[in-house]
Amino acid sequence: MDELNDQGVELYSHHGVLVKSQNQIRDDDSHCSGTLSIIEYSGIGKCIEWKPTEVLVDSETNDQEWAMVNAVGRRNRTSSGSNESQSRCRSVRIEVAHLKSFRVTRNRQQVTLMERDGTTHSVFFFQHGNADCFVAALKGNIKTVRSKKDKHLYIVPDEPESQLDRSFAELELFTENTTDVVWKFVRNLHHRPYETTLETFAKLTDIWLFKSSEQRREEEVAELLNRSLTLNETSADAIGEEYAVVDLRNGPLLPPRPPAPRGPPLSIEQWAQFQDEDGHIVEVEILKDIIFRGGVVPNLRYEVWKFLLGYFPWDSTHADRQKLRKQKVEEYFQMKLQWRSITPGQEQRFSDYRERKSLVEKDVNRTDRTLPFFAGENNENLMLLSDILMTYVMYNFDLGYVQGMSDLLSPILCVMTNEVDAFWCFVGFMDKVCSNFELDQAGMKQQLQQLHCLLSVTLPDLSAYLEKHESGNMFFCFRWLLVLFKREFSYQDIMRLWEVLWTDLPCPNFHLLLCVAVLDTQQHILMENNYGFTEILKHINDLSLHIELDSTLSKAEGIYHQLTSAICLPDVARKIIGLDPLGGPDTLEQKEPLQTTDIDNGLKVEEGPESLETLTFSPRTGEVAFERSLNLNYL
Amino acid sequence: MAAPNFQGRHMRQPSKNTLLKVVILGDGGVGKSCLMNRFVSNHFDEHSFHTIGVEFLNKDIEINGEVYTLQIWDTAGQERFKSLRTPFYRGSDICLLTYAVDDRTSFRNLALWRNEFLYYADVKEGMTFPFLVVGNKVDVSSEQREVSCEEARAWCMENGNPPHVETSAKDATNVEQAFSLAVESWAHLEAKLDRPYIGDTVDLRRQQPEQRSSCCLSVGGNTE
Repeated sequence: MDELNDQGVELYSHHGVLVKSQNQIRDDDSHCSGTLSIIEYSGIGKCIEWKPTEVLVDSETNDQEWAMVNAVGRRNRTSSGSNESQSRCRSVRIEVAHLKSFRVTRNRQQVTLMERDGTTHSVFFFQHGNADCFVAALKGNIKTVRSKKDKHLYIVPDEPESQLDRSFAELELFTENTTDVVWKFVRNLHHRPYETTLETFAKLTDIWLFKSSEQRREEEVAELLNRSLTLNETSADAIGEEYAVVDLRNGPLLPPRPPAPRGPPLSIEQWAQFQDEDGHIVEVEILKDIIFRGGVVPNLRYEVWKFLLGYFPWDSTHADRQKLRKQKVEEYFQMKLQWRSITPGQEQRFSDYRERKSLVEKDVNRTDRTLPFFAGENNENLMLLSDILMTYVMYNFDLGYVQGMSDLLSPILCVMTNEVDAFWCFVGFMDKVCSNFELDQAGMKQQLQQLHCLLSVTLPDLSAYLEKHESGNMFFCFRWLLVLFKREFSYQDIMRLWEVLWTDLPCPNFHLLLCVAVLDTQQHILMENNYGFTEILKHINDLSLHIELDSTLSKAEGIYHQLTSAICLPDVARKIIGLDPLGGPDTLEQKEPLQTTDIDNGLKVEEGPESLETLTFSPRTGEVAFERSLNLNYL
Repeated sequence: MAAPNFQGRHMRQPSKNTLLKVVILGDGGVGKSCLMNRFVSNHFDEHSFHTIGVEFLNKDIEINGEVYTLQIWDTAGQERFKSLRTPFYRGSDICLLTYAVDDRTSFRNLALWRNEFLYYADVKEGMTFPFLVVGNKVDVSSEQREVSCEEARAWCMENGNPPHVETSAKDATNVEQAFSLAVESWAHLEAKLDRPYIGDTVDLRRQQPEQRSSCCLSVGGNTE
């Protein structure tokens, strides 16, 4: 191919630039060193390239021109040593024409590059000096604008001359009424000239680049998705937690976010102090608070997780637990025997069972195989993983096996190492999250809606932005919620995160605040890159293994404190995080009663948005409007 | 050189790239994500994770002098997540129906996937849609093979005669060819739809009807 003969002209290069290891299993501080350069090719134009310093030859892929690092490739890891280093150190090439923005962080030593389609590349770390020269070189080759909202972010505006080639009319620019758009532009230009210009230009080029048919296509997909994600409105439980749109931009609702420092993990000595001589765990609330703040030292997980997951009661004695375990061993093997004794002939005539078995087999082979614990052919732990999941199928046949469960079991088995304890801990975990896996997906839908509600009170600008960009259904957070961030963090981090979440502190649904915290960090990137439905989805998928756990947990707790001390937090949001409703006509801040509509009184669900006026707040504290369902926002 | 030329999109104006939405469907574990990764990154992982939710990757491909940007969508295969998968079918230009040659059930389910796609993509009745039937994992030994090429071909004949190709994401057999075949198939149908009278002027390197009825592309079989 042409490119192979095209050596290109090197415009800039910087040695000793590290790329963070893409391996979920390794510690976060393993890196590959290489050279970052800007090269101009006669064929494809200017490119940013990173090549590892040591040249790695892989027989399987040496015919490739370039291996682009991408979101999927990044999470897919190989197990054998040579392959692993190869996959970790693959070269990166980004065409400058595809660059949408870049972020310079950590004392100007770190650069993150983002492409127009939403792809986020690995972080480049400049170990010698800083990224200034690289940034200067980039600026010499492309026009950049520094974001006003996020001072670390540089945006590459779209080429203006190409737009001038066509008249507005030819472009069929606006799906909205053109006059409205023009007036909006004029109005906003007066107040916010800089942002308005950027926003409008971004809109122009986006529509121009990705034709309007593309836009329409996305809208259609999003609308169908909204329908899929809307809870069945006749469900009595759901009514109080319906999708809410809270527009609070007119007045500040939340107090400043207080700092929430993290702490050290629970130590072996501390753990001993929380047990009396019979083995009762005392002062459980204090203990949980320590675990919430810092987790548990790895050596203690084997013991503490059994309590956190409800396998062992906190108030049990050593003797109780011995007795309990004996029972549980028996119970486990009884259930195991049930499926083990199904004959091939029976299986032939038992399609429900066969389907579940086939799903388990397929997924077990695709679960954390890069972890030494599960690596290699005929791995015994893999057999255990499979046996436990099959036994869970017998334990809860109606739920069966659903994709994602193997992800939830894997770290537990890794800690427990034995079948029976891992099974009962898994049962405890499933009890907490089984609604994620229900047939009608009601649990997932409800969580996505609750997340939207919390986002709209915490980050109203982002929430409004997402709605405008077909993403108010929060579908892009689906993977986060389904397997509780399992795919987003390294193995060590996910164990830490889960033990923190299992304390149920500081409130119910704290994991949703964690989502809000991640989005808080990404807010300006999403908005200033003017990402739409597909780019948002891609950007969020690409965050995998690039989220800092401790700072995010700390931020999430800060958000919790903000919400609890907010003067007038809507009841729908209060309920999600376990606060008592403020409702009732006597409440000072609200004229309207705040309790949610009571379906038992024969209230017709079809009444339309008017029936929701009970949820409208006094305008004094900022306009707060609730809408019944997701669909209303897209009609 | 008949191999498709993969390259960046800046050589021509970006707006001139035709963006094609490609959906890869099939049972869990047949190698949908692996096909996508092999095509986009030329990379294969023996132990990749199963997909949760949806993912997509973009890739530019040049066929007969035309540059296309393929937006390839990959979804979770389990029935449970159907309602969250099907919205993404809307607006697709190409659909890859995949099975694994060592998994008979996945082959039997092709019809279900095809019907699910047609229903949710809202393809007009009677309209021919550019499907491509892909039998992945041809790298397996002949003892492990459960679906023969002839059988697959027969199925295609009875189901609108889409082109069929056997691939291996693992050793890269026919993966690029599969995607370019799908695009050519799309271009051919598009030409027939949009410009019925000048359809002949579309310069396709291979005669489409012949291609569509031929069965398996062997390794390097389509270099002409």
